Amino acid sequence: MRVEEPTDRGATRPAIECRGLTKRYGSFTALSDVSLAVSPGEVVCVIGPSGGGKSTLLKMFNGLEPFDTGSLVVNGIALPNTRGELRRLRREVGMVFQSFNLFPHMTVRRNLMLGPVSTGKLKREEADARAEQLLERVGIRDQIDKHPGQLSGGQQQRVAIARALAMEPKIMLFDEATSALDPEMVKEVLDVMKELAHTGITMVVVTHEMGFARSVADRIVFMMAGTVAAVGTPGEFFGSACDERVRSFLSKVL
Amino acid sequence: MNLDFSIVLKNLPLLLHGAEWTVMLTISSLIVGTIIGLVACFGRLLGGGLLSWISTGYVELFRTLPEMVTIFWIYYCFPFAFDLSLSPTGSGIVALSLFAGAVLAEVFRAGIEAVPLGQIQAAKSLGLSEFRIWYSVILPQALRLMIPAFILVVADLVKMSGLLSAIGVSELVYEASILSENSFRYFEFFTVIGIVYFIIIFPTSLAARRLDARFVAQRT
Repeated sequence: MRVEEPTDRGATRPAIECRGLTKRYGSFTALSDVSLAVSPGEVVCVIGPSGGGKSTLLKMFNGLEPFDTGSLVVNGIALPNTRGELRRLRREVGMVFQSFNLFPHMTVRRNLMLGPVSTGKLKREEADARAEQLLERVGIRDQIDKHPGQLSGGQQQRVAIARALAMEPKIMLFDEATSALDPEMVKEVLDVMKELAHTGITMVVVTHEMGFARSVADRIVFMMAGTVAAVGTPGEFFGSACDERVRSFLSKVL
Repeated sequence: MNLDFSIVLKNLPLLLHGAEWTVMLTISSLIVGTIIGLVACFGRLLGGGLLSWISTGYVELFRTLPEMVTIFWIYYCFPFAFDLSLSPTGSGIVALSLFAGAVLAEVFRAGIEAVPLGQIQAAKSLGLSEFRIWYSVILPQALRLMIPAFILVVADLVKMSGLLSAIGVSELVYEASILSENSFRYFEFFTVIGIVYFIIIFPTSLAARRLDARFVAQRT
């Protein structure tokens, strides 16, 4: 099923909207009654202690993780949906993983071309040109014909971002994109993400980088024990008058 | 000890004929075994319920039975049970194929399951079709992981084909047995075919080890 797009209010429709999302693994409740709306062009950072359901929620946004109850509409497509609609959704929603997940048997170039070419979005030459252009943008144009195994972690993650961007997504999801990196490589990846945030693309960023959340996010969502415990602007979050649980968490990580 | 290797040379055509049969038996059972193995592997991975149950049962059965029991059972007992008699060669190929199928099903499954879940998630997140995910992401990686184990299965099949001499298939061991019985030159014949087996198998296991090391290096 597809939610029809009302042409007159297409611009104000949320990019992502969920209501009452709940997910249980046996007796463990991973997500409990999560409601959230992300506007087009908004950058939302999701923070909170480990095991709080941040990644689970993020993976629901592109249908990698099913949920038990609640409703979720991403880019005008309701979830769950048919395989075909799910693929259509994923072509508009890029995802960057903690462990990069580049295809190790392909060169960087082919990693970037696989999506656009095999989904029919671009012709081979166009995809090739875009691959070069995107790698230029993330600063590793010279690595294009190497295999992922020959690159550093920071370079691999920048390739992964470029691979997701090659599909020209409307929404980008980042699942702890810098958590697996050595400290000296975190900055180069965050810089790419910052640059991206200023292009007006919708971003949902699960992160432990408080500095990034503070300077880049339009809104911060604090998740804990499977619930959204607090939502606010960076100013509200890092100011003094905030939720007790948020303050306790921030005092541990800052 | 009085050795005379010239008798081996004199009987070279028979030994070559045996070697030819060894290769033929290995290739036939490898082809049939690969088909059985693919069916059993995907039956177990993708098929639900009955198909998965049958595949698992088949794999476990032939990984447990001693080769000789299966070979004799198919040659001597199968005709009684099913009123259908097979030639020694036919029985032999069936028996070896059943073994190869069971072992290869596990080789294929292990290769596919060794592809990290993150690879599949990344492929899905690009909006690739199921076919594309298998064709471009899972299989190329799984095949590399499988090759070394697959080569070792081939080496095992070469060795196992010698067991078919017990039901009178005229492969290498059979020819050597007959020739030595007639001439009492066991030492000469069995030394020579031992060397022949070594020459056939050693390069394959060497190749398997080399490939394995190369793929390990590539992944890191």
